[in-house]
Formats: sequence, C-alpha cells, structure tokens
Amino acid sequence: MPVEMLRDWIPVALSADLPAATVLPAHTPSGILALWRSASGKLTALADRCPHRGMRLSYGFVRGEALSCIYHGWSYGQTGQCLRIPAHPELAPPGAIKAASYAVEERNGVIWIAFEPPEAPPPSLEGFQPVRSITVNMDAGAITPNGTVRTQLAGVDVLLIVAGIGDRETIAHVMVDAAASATDRIAVSNAVEGWRRTCEQLGLKELAS
Amino acid sequence: MTVRHQPMIDEWYPVALASQLPPGGRATQLMGTPVLVVADDPIRVVTDDGRDLPVTLRYGHVWTSLGQPAKQLFDIPEADQPGRRLIEVGVVRVRCSPLRAVENFLDIAHFPFVHTDILGAEPHTEVGKYDVEIREKEDEVWATKVQFYQPQAAKSATGGITTDYMYRVPAPTSSVLYKTCPARPGEWDVITLFVQPLQEDLCDVWPWMALFDDETATTDLIHFQQMIFLQDRSILENQIPRLLPLDPGREIPTRADLTSVAYRRWLKRHQFTYGAQLVAQ
Ligand code: FES
Ligand SMILES: [Fe+2]
Repeated sequence: MPVEMLRDWIPVALSADLPAATVLPAHTPSGILALWRSASGKLTALADRCPHRGMRLSYGFVRGEALSCIYHGWSYGQTGQCLRIPAHPELAPPGAIKAASYAVEERNGVIWIAFEPPEAPPPSLEGFQPVRSITVNMDAGAITPNGTVRTQLAGVDVLLIVAGIGDRETIAHVMVDAAASATDRIAVSNAVEGWRRTCEQLGLKELAS
Repeated sequence: MTVRHQPMIDEWYPVALASQLPPGGRATQLMGTPVLVVADDPIRVVTDDGRDLPVTLRYGHVWTSLGQPAKQLFDIPEADQPGRRLIEVGVVRVRCSPLRAVENFLDIAHFPFVHTDILGAEPHTEVGKYDVEIREKEDEVWATKVQFYQPQAAKSATGGITTDYMYRVPAPTSSVLYKTCPARPGEWDVITLFVQPLQEDLCDVWPWMALFDDETATTDLIHFQQMIFLQDRSILENQIPRLLPLDPGREIPTRADLTSVAYRRWLKRHQFTYGAQLVAQ
C-alpha cells in the first residue's frame, strides 16, 4: 500500500461500529470530528463544534438524513449546512450557518476521512476483512513509520492499520484474511490485547532509557 | 491574576453554605486564589497570607470578595417575603467558564433537548418573542415576557403548562429566575444560580430557591434541581471553547438568544472578562 495514501486518508473507524442513524467522535491527529451515518446510510464528517454555541456535535443525534445538536437541536445536513432551528420553526436558516465538512469514504469495512480531498480513493485492502479497533497508549510513529503493521496474532496473518490520535495515543484497526474463520477472528480479537500490552511496555522501556 | 480582571475582582461571590459549614471550615478558591471559609462566629473568609476578606451572609450563602466591592450584595426582595420556603440546593462543580454556566441558566431553547419531558418536549420547541433590556438605573440585565411550554415545570406541577419566566442578572456570575408558581397563581417562584468562579474554566455552582410550595419534601425539591443541573453540566463541559466568547462572530445567536446577547454585551461593557474569550487572545 503506497504510504502517501495513508498520509492523506486517515482511518477513523470500522463500518460495523457506525450503524445507520448514529454518530460517533472520530479521533484524528488534528482533533475530533463528528462522524455520522444517516438513516439511509450516507456518511458525513463534520467539525465537532456546533456553530450556534460551540457544543460538540458528536454528542448529537441522527434523525433521517440530518445530524442534530444535543443543546438546542439545530440540525445539519451532509454539506454541514444548517437545515433547521427548532426555536424558530418557520425560519429558513441563513446559508452562513454551516459546520465545516470533510471528505469521508468507506471501503471494505473501514471508514476513512481526509481534511483535504485527496486525488486517489483510500486503499481498498482487498483480501482482508475488519475485526475490531483498539487504542494504544503510544505514539503511532513508535509503532510503525508507515501506518501499517503486518504480523501474526494467534497464528493468523493480520494487517493493522494505524493512526495517531493524540499525544501517546494511537488507534489500530485490525484486519485479517478475508477467508479467516469465525474462530480465527475471535482468537485475533483476543490476541490483539496482548499485542497492545507489548507495545505499551516497549514504549515505557523506551521512555525510561 | 492580572489587573485586567479588576472589575470582577471587586464583585461578591458565594463560597459556602452558611448552614453546612464544617467545623474545620471550607478550603476553596476564588478566581485562582486559595481562601478558607472559617467556621468562627461570625464566619470569616481568609486568604493564605492571612488577609481577612469582606463577608456577607445572605440567601443561605457566605459571600466574599477579593477586592473592594463598590456596592452591597444585590437584593432579592422575595427572599424576605413571608410564606416562602428557602431551599439550599448545595454545590455542583462544573468544568466550564463561570460565565458559560450563567448563560446556560438564561437559556430556554435547550429545554426540549437537554431537559426532555421535564422542562420541555418536542414538538413544543418554538421560542416566542420576549423583551430584553439592560436596566440602566439598577445596572442589571432583564428578560421579561418569556413563555415556554413545559411538560413538568416544577416538582409540584402535574401536567403540561405554559410557564412564564423573567430572568435577571444582577452580578456577573449570579442570576435570578422568576417563574410561574403552580401553587400560587399571581406569585413568582424564585430560583437562583449563584456561581463561584474557581478558575476561568472551573466553577462551583450553588443553586438556591425561594418557593411557595408547602407540599413537596425538601429532599425532593433538592433532587429535582440537582437532576436538572446535572443535565446542564453534560452540556457545559462539552462546549468549545470552554471560555465564553465575548466578541461577535465566534458563535451565531438568533432571536431566541437575545438574553445571552445582552448578557455578553453587559459583561463586555463592564470588562467582566474572567472566564471570557476575547478576539485579541
Ligand atoms: S449549541 Fe448546537 S444547537 Fe445550540
Ligand atoms: Fe438547563
């Protein structure tokens, strides 16, 4: 997988962790975004700050094709445009009321976002299937220089897609061979906890040395 | 702390409930300065370097100031009205600007979403026109003729009613709310929010009430108010930025926010900027 792709596209979540009509806080190296899926399945990534009074939109709720802020219920569509202000039901919200929106794409069970729209789509990761995501208390760069790790867990070949999400905080999305059995998936899901502990212990040693 | 905040340093703030002061006193802080509320008779408030601060006992609370207040503590005439029950709710710590806590208290548009099925409910979300003014003589912010539909306006309310409100801001971190009194039509229940600024982005909130309600148990009244405020806290701790933006442009008000607009303008006029964010910063 070309390294640039991982630099432009940030893997933020697995598709399975974001069902229809839900929102979650997507952690990126540049802060949190409100990532939501509409009732019909469309994905949107918005700045996590309501233009009205600054409430985090990732605390909001999805109804139909819009994300509503939990504070005063202002709702936003796919472009981030404010669609409705419940305190003034008759008012068409001015175009200036808009939350910033970012490129988001879903491929093979992984959701990617990008702050600048990249030219190429995110990596397809063909031949793999997602298992789970896990956060590691360590800098991403200390785990891998190129955003991916190929290793074996519980005797199964795995691909870890890694993104830094803060100071000594990294998210890793765990993929296994598309043909892996349910038993293998469970074994990998458990074994990745051990991988996390090993990473963190190595990280501590490095800090101490 | 810099002189930049002098106007707020010279104001009164609550630092304890007089009736619940433990024998060892209450060690707390005010605008970043550690203070001890001493359970002497009379109650004293002292700083780390042994300085005695001015003290006022009023509305159940111990009030003090790090500076030299030009005025006495604001008056709430209803506090002395016979027949009212005075309810000391206690303290809730909130990781937010003291000014954001007051602004939230002045806001009704959030009722259906934050206090769902209690103070508001969809589809009754519309905020009608109301009056807002800065009363020059009293130097206070007032909002009047505020109306809102509420499924359960108070502990003593049984069904939905349209509730009338008035809001008053007599000090930068204190607000008094007057609302329809279910038990005694024609009178107003009084609910206050007294905010102790611990730091620019941390506060202790002391709600206090003067109600006409002979029925409801005190603990129920306290729990009702605490539940409401805990719902507000989940909002207040997740607003960005934590400090209240005083210059226009950072946030977008509508007609429902006119009380907030007037409050921000009044804060700015008086340079009440502890807990505020200014464009220059
Ligand atoms: S802060 Fe989002 S609707 Fe008011
Ligand atoms: Fe509230």
